Amino acid sequence: MAKRVKTDIGTAAAVLDFDTELMLRVKEGDGASFGVLLEKHRSSLVYFLYRMMQNHAVAEELAQEVFLRVYRSRSTYEPTAKFTTWMFRIATHLALNALRDGKNERAQDRLDDDTSDMPVRQVSDRRPSVEQSMVYRAKLDEVRRAIAALPEKQRVAVLMHKYEEMEYSQIAKVLSCSESAVKSLLFRAYETLRARLAHMA
Amino acid sequence: MNCPLDTRENTQLLLDYCTRKLEPDSVAILERHIAICAACRELARGQRAVWHALDAWEAAPVSADFDSRLYRRIEAQVPWWTLVVRPFRPPFRTVTLWRSLPALAMACLLVVAGVVLERPAGAPAPAATDRAQVDSVQPEQVEHALDAMEMLNEFSRHVRTDSPDSKL
Repeated sequence: MAKRVKTDIGTAAAVLDFDTELMLRVKEGDGASFGVLLEKHRSSLVYFLYRMMQNHAVAEELAQEVFLRVYRSRSTYEPTAKFTTWMFRIATHLALNALRDGKNERAQDRLDDDTSDMPVRQVSDRRPSVEQSMVYRAKLDEVRRAIAALPEKQRVAVLMHKYEEMEYSQIAKVLSCSESAVKSLLFRAYETLRARLAHMA
Repeated sequence: MNCPLDTRENTQLLLDYCTRKLEPDSVAILERHIAICAACRELARGQRAVWHALDAWEAAPVSADFDSRLYRRIEAQVPWWTLVVRPFRPPFRTVTLWRSLPALAMACLLVVAGVVLERPAGAPAPAATDRAQVDSVQPEQVEHALDAMEMLNEFSRHVRTDSPDSKL
């Protein structure tokens, strides 16, 4: 009975989620479908990991590891959740491990002197003045520090909520916790961010 | 409306309001409340400021060689026997062959079943007819037939006895 319910859930997920369909095709040996998944999720995954690690090279390295794990797990893949939930769960796991391994320390060092990761911002086709550029970089630096100062889980929750526009339920699945726990994490995280960034309005 | 700040659970309403995820009906109710509640007004203002600040944080584009590096890593993990066998692979995928096996088995089964069912329809039918004919002969008929044969034998014996050749 339980097996049947699980199969039904899996089937429903496969029907609802096109990414899951693609992953099932990858499981059957269709390499082109893996290419489609890569094209579709490459940027969002790298951006998420970049904001987690605050280091572009480390983010790309981890994103490659995520896709590699997705590819390696293709034969045992079961559609029990949305594909993005599964992918971001792997990404979060890798990012948190990397942060604990000390890669974040290198990232923090970079916060002090490296701005090469930041895209050049242009307003109305005009190059920003030196002053505008400095103000922008100072603000950005403040945002990055505020995010980096958040506890790990709060950081993951905020990044998924703000940039990936995930529902509370999906964030809960990625973090393997309840929906109310996610709301609580977000409440505390935004409270901290409001205290640090509200003056930027 | 009760103040959303009274409970932590309801504060989510203000977050959803600031991120424009709230239903239109709820937006109208919340805006009426925000107009009279200074605490909620302050929280909404601060939350919008945070949202605006976070919007400014754009990520750098992904490297152009991201995919090629990934495919090289995937290729590096392919076992050596797969690389050896690859040039000799059939034009169709092994997976496809495996998947088509049940269908092939079913087709074979149908053919065999057809042959088996076709054969008894032709062969045993005459036997059944013979049995039916035998069953239909009554014991009286057999008795009559035997009597008739006895009479014929008797008659032929008399004829032979009366004939001139028999006297010689």
